[in-house]
Amino acid sequence: MPNILAVAETRGGELRKVALEAVTAARALADASGGGEVHALVFGPPGTAAKAEPLAQHGADKVLVCEHAAYGKADAESMSATIAARAAGFPVVLLSASAQGKDLAPRVSARLNAPLLSDCLTVRLSDNAVVVTHPTYTGKIIATLKAGPTPVVVSVRPNATTPAANARPLATETIAPASDPSASRVKVTEVVASGGAKLDLGEAPVIISGGRGLKEAANFKLVEDLAAAFGNAAVGATRAVTDDGWRPHSDQIGQTGRLVSPELYVAVGISGAIQHLAGMRTSRTIVAINKDPEAPIFKVADYGIVGDALEIVPALTAAVRAAKQAH
Amino acid sequence: MSAERVIFVFVLLVAAGFFSLNVQRLIEYLRLGRRENRLDHPWHRAWNVLRIGIAQAKILRDPVAGPMHAGIFWGFLVLTAGTVELIVQGIAPGFSYEHFLPRPVWFAYSASQDGFAAIVLAAVAFAFFRRLVLHPKRLDGDHTHHGDAYFILGMIGALMVTLLAMFAFTGAADPAALGTEKFISRALAGLLHGVSPATAAAVAHGNWWAHVLLVLFFLNYLPYSKHLHVVTSLFNVFFSNTSGPSQKGVMRYMDLEADVEQFGANDVQQLTWKNLLDGYSCTECGRCTSVCPANITGKPLSPRKIVINTRQRLMETVGGLPLVHEHAAAGDGRHLLDDYITDAELWACTSCRACVQECPVSIDQLDIINEMRRYLVLSESRFPEELQPAFESMERNGSPWAFNPADRGQWAEGLDIPTMAEAFARGHRPQVLYWVGCMGSFDERARKTTVAFARILQACGIDFAILGQEESCNGDPARRMGNEYLYQMLAKNAIETLDRYQVRTIVTACPHCFHQIGNEFPQLGGMYEVIHHSTFIERLLQEHRVPLQTEDGKALTVAYHDSCYLGRYNDVYDAPRETIRRALPIVKLVEPERSRDRGLCCGAGGGRMFMEENTGKRINAERTEELLATGADTIAVACPFCMTMMNDSVKSRDADVSVVDIAEVVADRLATA
Amino acid sequence: MKIAVCIKRVPDMESRFKIAASGVAIDETGLKFDISDFDAYAVEVALQINEKAGSGETTVICLGPDVVQETIRKALSMGAEKGVQLKADSVPADSLAIAKALAAELKDGGYELILFGKHSLDAMTGGAGTMVAELLGLPCLTAASKLEFVNGKAVARRELEGAAEMLEFPLPAVVTIDEGIARPRYPSLKGIMAAKKKPLDVKPAQLGDVRVTVEKMALPPERPAGRIIGTGPDAVPELVRLLQTEAKVL
Repeated sequence: MPNILAVAETRGGELRKVALEAVTAARALADASGGGEVHALVFGPPGTAAKAEPLAQHGADKVLVCEHAAYGKADAESMSATIAARAAGFPVVLLSASAQGKDLAPRVSARLNAPLLSDCLTVRLSDNAVVVTHPTYTGKIIATLKAGPTPVVVSVRPNATTPAANARPLATETIAPASDPSASRVKVTEVVASGGAKLDLGEAPVIISGGRGLKEAANFKLVEDLAAAFGNAAVGATRAVTDDGWRPHSDQIGQTGRLVSPELYVAVGISGAIQHLAGMRTSRTIVAINKDPEAPIFKVADYGIVGDALEIVPALTAAVRAAKQAH
Repeated sequence: MSAERVIFVFVLLVAAGFFSLNVQRLIEYLRLGRRENRLDHPWHRAWNVLRIGIAQAKILRDPVAGPMHAGIFWGFLVLTAGTVELIVQGIAPGFSYEHFLPRPVWFAYSASQDGFAAIVLAAVAFAFFRRLVLHPKRLDGDHTHHGDAYFILGMIGALMVTLLAMFAFTGAADPAALGTEKFISRALAGLLHGVSPATAAAVAHGNWWAHVLLVLFFLNYLPYSKHLHVVTSLFNVFFSNTSGPSQKGVMRYMDLEADVEQFGANDVQQLTWKNLLDGYSCTECGRCTSVCPANITGKPLSPRKIVINTRQRLMETVGGLPLVHEHAAAGDGRHLLDDYITDAELWACTSCRACVQECPVSIDQLDIINEMRRYLVLSESRFPEELQPAFESMERNGSPWAFNPADRGQWAEGLDIPTMAEAFARGHRPQVLYWVGCMGSFDERARKTTVAFARILQACGIDFAILGQEESCNGDPARRMGNEYLYQMLAKNAIETLDRYQVRTIVTACPHCFHQIGNEFPQLGGMYEVIHHSTFIERLLQEHRVPLQTEDGKALTVAYHDSCYLGRYNDVYDAPRETIRRALPIVKLVEPERSRDRGLCCGAGGGRMFMEENTGKRINAERTEELLATGADTIAVACPFCMTMMNDSVKSRDADVSVVDIAEVVADRLATA
Repeated sequence: MKIAVCIKRVPDMESRFKIAASGVAIDETGLKFDISDFDAYAVEVALQINEKAGSGETTVICLGPDVVQETIRKALSMGAEKGVQLKADSVPADSLAIAKALAAELKDGGYELILFGKHSLDAMTGGAGTMVAELLGLPCLTAASKLEFVNGKAVARRELEGAAEMLEFPLPAVVTIDEGIARPRYPSLKGIMAAKKKPLDVKPAQLGDVRVTVEKMALPPERPAGRIIGTGPDAVPELVRLLQTEAKVL
């Protein structure tokens, strides 16, 4: 009956969705292996303990709360020291493969001299070892990895687990950091939100791109509206459009512009010239909206809608906005 | 010996001595450049001199300035004989060709001196008129030396005036001294009947002096002037490779194993002596720049400036042609690149060869640009950042675009086209290899051309195969962009594949592949007969091997756009036009203003396909407007790059004109299609 | 600055991968290999730091069989001064084992800065750099998208989900490099020629226990073929449904 230590991530004192995913994953792993306990370890500024309830709801038998004024921001050095200090006896330490989790997990692994399994899709225990699946080769190959003997440090990929309720009575224990955060050598001086500012094409998870099918520069407003509906989207354009001055050259996606591979690429009124395809073909999901069903863009698109972009895009914008609100 | 003769001989010796000193210096300066043999195929070179030099073939392409220049040039050739006579008279008074020339020859000679003096004078007058009144645009820009031009023209005019005056006053002094063949001078002499014979004789003698002194001054002024071309251009034409003897447009071979400090050229020392001679030979006429697609559309490149800068930098490096002492050429920390020529100029070039084609004295502007691009890429890794993905992709994926090499043969799926590997596995060696090229393999639009040509080959029963996955970029774009290292890697790889299948005959629909494999692979040991699809289809049509529909087809109005690598590089102008005519019996073929060897580039060559075009008007827009102005309903191309450029531009104009490849025209007309 | 950059040799990710007969590795035939992207950024960062300072030395370290020498030469052709191959028959899946081998090499190197890519494109573990820092007791910054030196201190930026952190830390330190920080230069032929003459030491890798093994490698389920789901605005609800349930991007 192995116990699992799950690290529940917070930012600015609030639990993140990945925290619930980590606890859910840990719960499932413990249950699948005979029903050990899940201890959730959460770092945060004073007052965090009061927000620990959802961790119990998602299956944490015990919530270890490590509060410190410094934990409004991350402090990897003292956090990893604390996790390592509390990890004794746990065969599996489970973290999120978020930006913060990817920072912490290898530190914990090195401190415990325990092997690391990173960014896992699935996790199971097998005798004295942990077996996971993990995307490799930029996701083109799924590897099954085995690490052992335990203890093993595991990080789970965000969004790979759906948070599931599995309520326990809330039992919190307050613990102190294993090292003084103020003595940490790496200091977070500032956390800047990147949501409001214009997203860079290279970083945006969603890109809405417009081509000559939009007919005139003013119609790029429709593309911008769709991007705004997604919230995390940037606006791109084809070379033809930037050449004609409808959009700045910095917006150009393609061989001579930016090479991008977002999670979702929506090509609006783009026929799919070789120079454009070369810049976006590797996007994870591609949606094409074009009036010509023979357009090459449909050859690379996962989903296509044939028709006038000027009619379809506003409808899509409304639908996306509705879907986002329902979420 | 009279004092006058002593003075004359002294002046003559000083002038000749100083001139020969400067000629020696100029030749010495050429040695600063790299060595290169330009004495191969002397007969072909001599023929070039006759055709381009003596017969002024290229000069006469300009209907206005052409005859003007030819008049002056031929006048100079003829009058030089007279000049020799006049100078000898200065040493040996009374000397005349008349004493030893047969009567009719003498008569013709004497008449020519009179007639050509008048022709040259008229041409000079027109030249002044042209410069002062007509203001041809091509003479401006690049800080060209207008003052120098006026001075030279004035001097030539003065030479003619003094010559005619000498004749006229000689005739006025003694009508018997002027033969009837000199009818112009006699007419002028007739106007001088009020002048006493003694005065006339003195004035005639004065004009002799003025004339010979001007000749000697002119000779010594030339090395300091852009009009040095008077002396160097015939040599330049002889040593040039731009009209053969070897294949035109072939980039210089580069030994990458050579233990050199740098690759390519950033200064005159790394150019060849011939590039430097080009600098001497440029008279800044601007024909090259006036046809340069980059220059026309407002980019910073001017081929004329590249050549002028080469001369300027050479003169700066060697300290020029000082009158008194020479100072040693020391490293001055300056370079042709950066201090004269910028990166932006070099990258604006589409390698279309229009400048080279146009130059009347066979200067190779493109060779200098290519060598400097090589320096930028190979020595400094300096190039527009958008080229890096193209380079990396060629290296990793064997195509300038990041497409999966495994998909190269995808277009042929279900078309029953064997790969070489498949044919060999069956123990068959196909007669013809169809080299598809990267555009033809990966670009959706170009794939239609690829399929069209394949269908024609099949319909004609040609025994052909493709390489499929084994085909890989032949490196031409890399070479044009200065990346010789990547080029040689790709080209050697391609040659290995071709040789593995004992390929002898290759057909391709891409003029760039056609030029590269056919004309440049021999440098690396790849010897194949390469036929562009325009020529191949035209031959099949000529032999009536293409099963065409019997009815006439559509009555299209077609404007054919010449591809640079097909046309100016390989002189294929008629095959694509003939192909269209034969496939569409009732077609109306129209020609844009600039066509055939004057055709305007589509803007994609020289690696421009892979670069941004942010400055000025877009070249494809300029070209498309010209093609649309013909009123054609169809634009025909014979190159996948031209196809993309024309298509883009036609689309952005919402013009109801289709852009088709000539293979598509024919494939559409196949019987049993 | 004396900088070490740890790099990895990986196949070109544009390739169409096949699983080897063993079932636990990819079939390497016909693949082209190069420096892993993030590692190439790290090399570029190191070169730029030293170019800006006008002095310094960049050493690239790569663990693996002799073929990795080609990868090291590539980094040398970009401008790094020295190369070290930590010779091993293969690169294990255990990043802690790799980290120990690297730490043993780096320990007495006197490096002021040790750079890694944020993760390799093949294994995608992203652990070795941080582990090396822990093993050597050095401060560590992961996934830097900006890195500068102000008054003897390093200042960096790190992207989080929907936010970014600005951080400060003293040297010596370990930094792992994210994309967007620098575009790796294209080696000139001059650089390629010079790289042939630069020192490349070969030492045995001290890997120790390898506790992570590959049990299996498999291709992910085929992406459903692209399809046209409809015409006009009527197709929008179906698109949104697919984006939510199938593609999971909404």
